[in-house]
Amino acid sequence: MSAAASSTESVSAQKIAGYGVATVAAVLVLYPVFYLLQAALDVGDPQTRPPTAYGLDNFEALLNYPQIMLNTLSVSFAATLMALVIGFIMAWILTRTNVPGRLVFEQLMAVPYYLTPLLGALAWSMLGSPESGFLNQFWRALGGSGHVIDINTPYGIAWVMALFEGSVAFVMIGAVMKSMDPALEEASQVIGASRLRTMLRVTLPLVIPGVLGAAIFVFAEMLGSFAVALVLGTPNRYYVITTAIYQLIQQYPPRIQVAAAMGTSLFAVMFVMLFIYRRIVTAGSYVTITGKAFRPRVADVGRLRHLLFCVCVLYLVVSVVLPIATLLYASVQKIAVAFPAADNFTLDNFRAAMSMNAAGSALTNSLILAFATATIGIALMGLLAWLIYRSRLPGAGLIEYVVMFPQAVPRLVFAFGMMWAWLAFPIPIYGTLWLLLIAYLTVFLPLGVRTIAGVMLQVDKSLDECAQMCGASWMFRMRTISIPLLVPGLVAAWLLLFIASVRELGASILLMGPHSKVITPSIVESWFGTASELTATLALIQTFVVAAAVAVLVVVTRRVSTHVVN
Amino acid sequence: MAPKPHIEVENLEVSFGAVPAVRGVSFTVTHGEQLTLLGPSGCGKTTTLRAIAGLEKPVAGEIRIDGAPIYSAARNINVPAEKRGLSMVFQSYAIWPHMSVFDNVAYGLRVRREEAAAIRNKVIQALALVQMQAFADRRASQLSGGQQQRVALARAFVFQPSVLLFDEPLSNLDAKLRADMRIELRDLQHRLGITSIYVTHDLEEALAMSDHIVVMRDGLVEQTGTPDDIYRLPRSAFVADFIGSANLVHGRNRRDLATHGLLALETPGGQVIYGNAYGRSAGDELTVSVRTVHLQISPQRPAGERNVWPARVEKTVFQGDFTQVHILWGDQRLIARCAALDPLPAGQEVFISVDPKRVVLLGA
Amino acid sequence: MAHNKHGHITRRALLKAGVALPLVGIAAPNVLSQPLSKSPSTVLDFQTNADVAKAEQEGQLVFYCHENEAGTAGIMQGFNKDFPKIKTSYVRAQTGALYSKILAERQAGRFDVDVLQLSDLAPAFDFQKKGGYEHYESPESGAYKQDNLSTPKGYFFWTGVDPAGIAYNAEKVTGSDAPKGWKDILDPRWKGKISCKISASGLQFVQWYMLRKLYGDGFWQEFAKLQPHAFDSRVQLFDRLSKGDDTITAIGEYPAYILFKSRGAKVEFVAPADGLVATPLVVGAVNKAPHPEVAKLFVDWAMSKRGQAWYQTNPNLYYASVRTDAPPMPTGVSLTQFKLLYPQDWDDYSKQSATFLKEWNGMLGL
Repeated sequence: MSAAASSTESVSAQKIAGYGVATVAAVLVLYPVFYLLQAALDVGDPQTRPPTAYGLDNFEALLNYPQIMLNTLSVSFAATLMALVIGFIMAWILTRTNVPGRLVFEQLMAVPYYLTPLLGALAWSMLGSPESGFLNQFWRALGGSGHVIDINTPYGIAWVMALFEGSVAFVMIGAVMKSMDPALEEASQVIGASRLRTMLRVTLPLVIPGVLGAAIFVFAEMLGSFAVALVLGTPNRYYVITTAIYQLIQQYPPRIQVAAAMGTSLFAVMFVMLFIYRRIVTAGSYVTITGKAFRPRVADVGRLRHLLFCVCVLYLVVSVVLPIATLLYASVQKIAVAFPAADNFTLDNFRAAMSMNAAGSALTNSLILAFATATIGIALMGLLAWLIYRSRLPGAGLIEYVVMFPQAVPRLVFAFGMMWAWLAFPIPIYGTLWLLLIAYLTVFLPLGVRTIAGVMLQVDKSLDECAQMCGASWMFRMRTISIPLLVPGLVAAWLLLFIASVRELGASILLMGPHSKVITPSIVESWFGTASELTATLALIQTFVVAAAVAVLVVVTRRVSTHVVN
Repeated sequence: MAPKPHIEVENLEVSFGAVPAVRGVSFTVTHGEQLTLLGPSGCGKTTTLRAIAGLEKPVAGEIRIDGAPIYSAARNINVPAEKRGLSMVFQSYAIWPHMSVFDNVAYGLRVRREEAAAIRNKVIQALALVQMQAFADRRASQLSGGQQQRVALARAFVFQPSVLLFDEPLSNLDAKLRADMRIELRDLQHRLGITSIYVTHDLEEALAMSDHIVVMRDGLVEQTGTPDDIYRLPRSAFVADFIGSANLVHGRNRRDLATHGLLALETPGGQVIYGNAYGRSAGDELTVSVRTVHLQISPQRPAGERNVWPARVEKTVFQGDFTQVHILWGDQRLIARCAALDPLPAGQEVFISVDPKRVVLLGA
Repeated sequence: MAHNKHGHITRRALLKAGVALPLVGIAAPNVLSQPLSKSPSTVLDFQTNADVAKAEQEGQLVFYCHENEAGTAGIMQGFNKDFPKIKTSYVRAQTGALYSKILAERQAGRFDVDVLQLSDLAPAFDFQKKGGYEHYESPESGAYKQDNLSTPKGYFFWTGVDPAGIAYNAEKVTGSDAPKGWKDILDPRWKGKISCKISASGLQFVQWYMLRKLYGDGFWQEFAKLQPHAFDSRVQLFDRLSKGDDTITAIGEYPAYILFKSRGAKVEFVAPADGLVATPLVVGAVNKAPHPEVAKLFVDWAMSKRGQAWYQTNPNLYYASVRTDAPPMPTGVSLTQFKLLYPQDWDDYSKQSATFLKEWNGMLGL
């Protein structure tokens, strides 16, 4: 197709908006990656920039840390396995059985994700430390010796990772199960196969490609996990690549080049994994996934319902109730123990917390930043989604690639590139909220564009074409047709971005400055430099404030989205 | 003197990437007429329509409206869809769910910044024409399929476009509604006098509504003409069989038997059939088409010397309004459609005959 | 105690201000080195060469500090209480990380810091050499020995001293098991149960340097065999100690011991006979500061009796003051009662930095 504008075609607003936003996205994504690679290949004097010499020495230096690589792989593998098992069981229970309260549970499955892995790690650290952990104290009180659980081991780390970062496995496997054509199972049963046999011979093989895809995706995510390994692994000198990078940067003098080399190798592995994932997803071996929406067959499991209900409740207890209760319990004690004496209770921690940076300015900053990220985000990502999936402008495929790129880079590594890149930037945004805003917009590109695209594609393009035939220009159509129809979806995306922004850790922790503290990294800083009771208090205050803010927003936006479409 | 054409399509080619969908299509539409693009799915009719609308970009050819090009590959012209001044009714109706019926219809007028009072009048009038004025304030998403179709129609003509494009507008309706809407649409089009290009795969629709039909296959035009012409004088085997059902008979040209302006064809089985060339060139090997409804069956030998043969009934299939009779004629099987007959037992010896005027020579 | 040669002028200035100070020998501003020849003004109960009105106009203090969160916030609280018009904000990171951060920023042309506090003299020397400190001689310098000030004066000063011995969990370690001297921390029974600080900690560097000097190079090799857990702040160390996550810490800071004991933690402190390792905590105004008058004001405040009292009594700080007229610590113990182990040759000490970092990081697996 000829891309040349004809003499009667004006340079349309479409092209300006489209290519403008594409350029912005490309700069946001590629600028830090370039600096990351430059630092990784820099073998000259670390203090001088730009680099004086290039080479592969930093990658050779990685060979000195085989343990770290091994740790990363093994803990990610274990976490993925656990997440898949939990995800599969929960997906099965909630989509294929008639357990009571299905819909409520499905919504609640996302709560651990919102609580953030950091909170989960802090809470489980208090629950499962071999000496001071509450569970172990209970164990000893019951007469046991030693400890029943040691959360500071690789398995402990994997467990917490699976609980708090593994809900994506549930979502993906659930989606696969929901989109299966029930007729396939019914055919098996009609022939006379038992339910169990049907499940093993028909359902399982059909679901396996989807599960495999989820496995690869989850594994890639786990490779980039940071918070849990930081809280649970670092004290025991157990490092994974992300925490090692963080430590190397914090050292004096900081070993930027080795850190960059580590980050690059992690990024390379994630990239390959996601590449394989995309191949599997688009390979077409997915015969069960059609465009049609099926009503999945819900099996009546009879008395088993109650057992399964208990399983669901148990999951929520372990991942939500127990952690929050633990933190609450710790926050009201001077020195947190499982069986405190009466004089151990105090509200001092709350008093102290209120005076700290973390509570006041960090909360405010986070909320403001989240607001800005969500608002600017949906405009930017909305335009990008339109550009990639709806416009006919050439080069759209390339832009999709660029936009999805941050998925392959662990947040911490990306932030490292950003820190390195923007430090030398002439405009002084380093250390300000602006830099965090840019970072958030960049790392959330895949999430935002994917969500909005999903909504956008549901709107039939003939609605827009018809408006064209009525004579409406692109801007008029956007204003009167596209945007009003997208509003409910845009609102959902806004909320998603808001929440993602508030819980962000990996990118923020390297880019915070004195005037731009944000919540989750300040809880981490607090953990480094404060008593654990105070940290627990801070974590609780911040979680509740954010939950309240989100609740308010949900209520407000619900009214907006019901007004638009019936 | 031929009336000045309203829309001219010349050597239009449209491709999707490497796949050609329209491979060189030409036709003209005169003012006030309805031209239908007819063909099986995948023939490129919808793509052609969308190219005229401006929703697809062709790779070659020219499209002119009243002589002025709106698309020209040679002159590098491509007027955007919203500036072409055409209007379109979509297969899925494309009713905007977030607006009322009134707002849906008023959209085109609002784009043209007409005054509120004028808009109100025009919308009410348009809705009245499609008998939907009572629904003006309803939410558009609460309407049934047929009602949405009418609203889509009112929306399309309310701003008095000079051309209306229809993309299989009735295919989502049930058969009875379709039949009724067909007539309504035709009446409306006549009343408004708007030039229309209509796309359908439904033969009955095309024959009932069109002034001219363009039969398309595989991205090319098979035949253009009035419904009558196309029905009576199909040019190719494809058209013959697509437009109504036809029997195709091949054979040798028996010029020595030609008489009275008729040509004679001898089948490999030895039967001789007389037919009309209708101006087409006759080679040594001929193919003629005999419509199934024109093949007569009688138990006794009918009067007339030409085109009468004995034959045997193989089976009959009752189809309600007509009966389909499968006949063995020499070593060839023919199909005849007759109004409901007394049942003919299989194996019965009968006579079949056909008026030579109804035996049409097909082009190469 | 340095007697001021210009005492004559000073006393008149004091009488003019009408403040009766019990101390004699407050250092008068060295007229020759001050860019503006003005005499110090008195604000609250201390002397300052800063323009207080201008400082309040500047309205903000940006403080980079090595202390833990509560400690840094505590320092800021103290200053803000005395100067409510000046808003405070801080960045805290352990000394090594803090220093590399400020260096990186300055190299990139970002000058956002007013005052810097470090827990290690080596980076302070380095920063002075690089011209990072603002040269400002505080009128309060007279109350400090030359040993506790920069050479030449006016770049940084010792705002306090952080002494550390050994501390252990009293429930897990009893009687004869309790350590008495530094060599006792090498006992193999502490394997996996002993904690120390990370390499970015200034105090840890001092301990490494001093104990190496005392007991030879093999000391820390033995220590490494115990696979110690390393942490950023003393709060973390004592947090774990009090809960039993660690049994003993090799670097138990006295201020933290006081704090946790007051909360009811079952921890005990051991002051080895060879002495407590101690690092100076150094404060200095930073060059090209965004709020230069505030920076100067803060230095004066920190050096003053008032500021020092705050540093000494705030439970999150409990610093031992080196001001010549400072009272004893809140526990009644005076700094002079401790035998302190400081490096004598700060040059040699600084040069060992790279060796320490390599060895310590290697011990911790990085």
